[in-house]
Amino acid sequence: MAERDTAAPRQGTIGAEVFAFLRRASPLARVAPHVRPRIGITLVFAFALLFPLIIDRNDADIDSAANALAFAALALGLNIVVGFAGLLDLGYAAFFAIGAYAYGVFASAQFMPAWSGFWEPFAWLQLVERFHQDSGGDLVHFTVSFWLMLPLSAGLAAFFGVLFGAPTLRLKGDYLAIVTLGFGEIVPIIARNWPSVTNGAMGLNGVAAPRFLGQSFGISATPYYFVGMGLIALLIFTSTRLKLSRIGRAWMAIREDEIAAAAMGVNRVKFKLLAFAIGAAFAGATGTFYVAKLQTATPEMFMFPVSVMILVMVVFGGIGSVWGVVLGAIILQILQSWFLEDLSQWLHALGRLIGVEWLQRIELASSIELIFGIILVTMMLYRRQGLIPATRRVQALSLAEQTATVELAAAPPAQRLRAIGDITFRGDEPLLDIKGLTVRFGGLVALREVGLTVPPRSVVAVIGPNGSGKSTLFNAVTGLVAPESGNVRFAGYPIERQPPHVVLGRGMARTFQNIRLFPNLTVLENVMIGMHARLHTGAVGALLRLPATQREEAAARAHCLDILALFGNRLIPRVDHVVSSLSYANRRRLEIARALASNPKLLLLDEPTAGMNPAETLELAGQIKNLNQHGLTIVLIEHKLDVVVSLADNVIVLDHGEKIAEGPPDVVRRDEEVIRAYLGRSAAIGSAAVA
Amino acid sequence: MGWEAVYLQQVINGLSLGAMYALLALGFTLVYGILELINFAHFNVFMVGSFVGMAALELFGLSGQTQILTGFPLVGVMTFAFIATLSVAGALGVIIERFALRPLRGIPGTVGMITTIGVSYILFNIVLLTVGAGSWNFPNPLPRISWPIGGATLELRSLLIWIIALVLMTGLHLFVNKTRLGKAMRATAQDAEAARMMGVDVDRVIVTAFFLGSALAGAAALIFGLYYNYTSFIIGYTAGLRAFTAAVLGGIGSVTGAMVGGLIIGLIEALGGQLIAVRWTDVIIFSILVLVLVFAPTGLLGRANPTKS
Repeated sequence: MAERDTAAPRQGTIGAEVFAFLRRASPLARVAPHVRPRIGITLVFAFALLFPLIIDRNDADIDSAANALAFAALALGLNIVVGFAGLLDLGYAAFFAIGAYAYGVFASAQFMPAWSGFWEPFAWLQLVERFHQDSGGDLVHFTVSFWLMLPLSAGLAAFFGVLFGAPTLRLKGDYLAIVTLGFGEIVPIIARNWPSVTNGAMGLNGVAAPRFLGQSFGISATPYYFVGMGLIALLIFTSTRLKLSRIGRAWMAIREDEIAAAAMGVNRVKFKLLAFAIGAAFAGATGTFYVAKLQTATPEMFMFPVSVMILVMVVFGGIGSVWGVVLGAIILQILQSWFLEDLSQWLHALGRLIGVEWLQRIELASSIELIFGIILVTMMLYRRQGLIPATRRVQALSLAEQTATVELAAAPPAQRLRAIGDITFRGDEPLLDIKGLTVRFGGLVALREVGLTVPPRSVVAVIGPNGSGKSTLFNAVTGLVAPESGNVRFAGYPIERQPPHVVLGRGMARTFQNIRLFPNLTVLENVMIGMHARLHTGAVGALLRLPATQREEAAARAHCLDILALFGNRLIPRVDHVVSSLSYANRRRLEIARALASNPKLLLLDEPTAGMNPAETLELAGQIKNLNQHGLTIVLIEHKLDVVVSLADNVIVLDHGEKIAEGPPDVVRRDEEVIRAYLGRSAAIGSAAVA
Repeated sequence: MGWEAVYLQQVINGLSLGAMYALLALGFTLVYGILELINFAHFNVFMVGSFVGMAALELFGLSGQTQILTGFPLVGVMTFAFIATLSVAGALGVIIERFALRPLRGIPGTVGMITTIGVSYILFNIVLLTVGAGSWNFPNPLPRISWPIGGATLELRSLLIWIIALVLMTGLHLFVNKTRLGKAMRATAQDAEAARMMGVDVDRVIVTAFFLGSALAGAAALIFGLYYNYTSFIIGYTAGLRAFTAAVLGGIGSVTGAMVGGLIIGLIEALGGQLIAVRWTDVIIFSILVLVLVFAPTGLLGRANPTKS
């Protein structure tokens, strides 16, 4: 504490002191910290609801505000796709178009097929009207209600999101962006080239205004403003709830490291599609709202520049930050519809006053896209986290906390291990049984006909020179690499060619040689993602947050803290720190903790002590031994032979993708073949001579 | 004209368009091969290039298509226009790399690409705000010589376009495969880190890739002007996306692939417009883009793997 006090005056500029005084003096200081955001949100919404009164019912301004709300809704939707799941979508406006045209076509006199008996039930449901013509047969006039169309458009856009996403979402970032751009262009072109339904480039006209309690919205902007407010409130609620749930964690895991996410049990395809569908649904509903407000729709409203504008709003506000993107969208809309106009007027006045001709001709509103471009480049170069960053920085540990004595044994290991749950496989057959496993990369055979068995509750070490295929073995077993041939049975189930998340679900967790944590998430979030496969909250559960969901979340949190406590005070003081601030050894520990959170029966450790000093190595080896004594089966790749000797019941030696030896550590250690593989032929001859 | 003649004419047109797309696609492929970056700024480097070319031709008092030059003046004016356009476009590429992209080197994900979208927007709007939204008559001093071939006509300008494209692409091919810097470039494309350790100045390689790619965009821009007789602030987007499709189709990262892809896209545009309808051309080309990326992401000749992460 002393260090902090002495450090304080250094930052005590006058500004900071005034700010600190205001913070102490403000009424908020007397409110509990967790209540503060709620007060803030209430104030924001109270202001927003009173806004039409405050600006004295100026219809043009309310109209601009309603437009700003529509774009904030779009930014929220794109934020789910780009910010949460990390999928750059450059054709997002296509889903906006689908929602807009869905309402536009089904609530206007644009598309009128001939009347027949088929339409009678729809007329009875008030979805269509019989339109009488003086000459020729009667026509169908679609009159689908705005309120019905709002969820239907969301569903329709989500359907197209899934339809389009299913084949494309396995592409990596920039390629996905290009494919979405292509899709984003195709949709408005189809709208333009299909005049019988969409009226082509001329655009739909005469779209019906929504009705509420028998009253049409008419041409006043105020009711649209309130509908927009309702929409935004719903979308903010949805975004926030999803973000802070199992769903949101899975998305962020995919964003941070797709491979690691899959290895920790996240079904990549499912969660990417979910993000795409929910993002599209937001755009679909907003499209219906927007076209109802405008009462027209043209293909130009949905082209690439619109997608880019929404992206600029997200980037400006803060990628992944719910309130950030709303703020970004509103600021840019205010800039566009008020500020630049007003500034131009002032410049014109100034020009007239001082008699400068060119000042009177400036139209700043037309430079909005230039401003968008400048914002994109500036934000990317200087402030990638946006106006309101999605993750708040946690204060670093004090020097005292950082250099605290390592305390490992608050309770005896057996007692602490009990908290992490049942990790013992209670069978007598081999837990892992590999037969004839062959993996080929082009011409290179990385594994050739490798077979091995792992008895339950044992520790098997896999050793071998670099490039001998050890990590490939792990990758093939956990589903990250497809084997060419061979069988892998885990706890009796064949798991070869199963995707990684299924393998984890069966109870096999792993760590990576080059550490694949989620670098921008906190320590606790990383471990919570490890629990993904053991939790059940779906999108609906996350939204409703029923007591069962809350209990599951609280229990998961407590369980994760128990697991982190296995490493004494190494990780516990840092639970809210982002991983990128951790030391190397702590990252290794955290990766093991994350794997343990999935409640595995078999743990694959890929060089767990790499880069650790002798003391840390000893500490970790002891912890691994404790886990094994608690009943966990372990396979580890390790180069430090003393670690292997102290832990392993059985050692498997790989060289050039083939198994060259197998047996208890001290037998393998004397095997000539092994010595030759590790140290070369002359060493083998030398050791033979000594023997 | 009989239908054979119509198709022959469209093939001639398609080859001219294809030459332009191939030159433009090379810029995408050179930068992607080295940085794995899809450079959206390239679209509007091309567009700026066409205005530079127009200004260069207008320096000689040329305007519209009525003033015809022959002999030495023609060769001199065209050479000057090409050198001016290629240098300015190339320099623009280098400036973009230096100030917008180099600070972001090594940052993973789509940060670089979003930045190039921003740069593209800036170029686009600077031109829009300075020259206006109209389309500009592009000077064309080439004599109106044409040869009848099987009912179709082969114009001098088509022939010139093919020759220019062929010379530039051969030059690039020789540069990449025969020179020391070209070898450094190929090494960097394979593994930038290893190339750096072997003493390759990676920054210089990247700057060279941007310069060459952007200069070729300048050449494509002049071809655009000579072929369509106009330019406008808006030409970068459509042509750029088609050229990008060409690069993807040929296999992004592959120099030969970009050339082949460019020709195929040019022919598809010309013949597809004839066979189906011009208003569906964009849908056809975007569909090719989407289908190739989804089903054959390495393209015809590529080695990149767009599904790796």
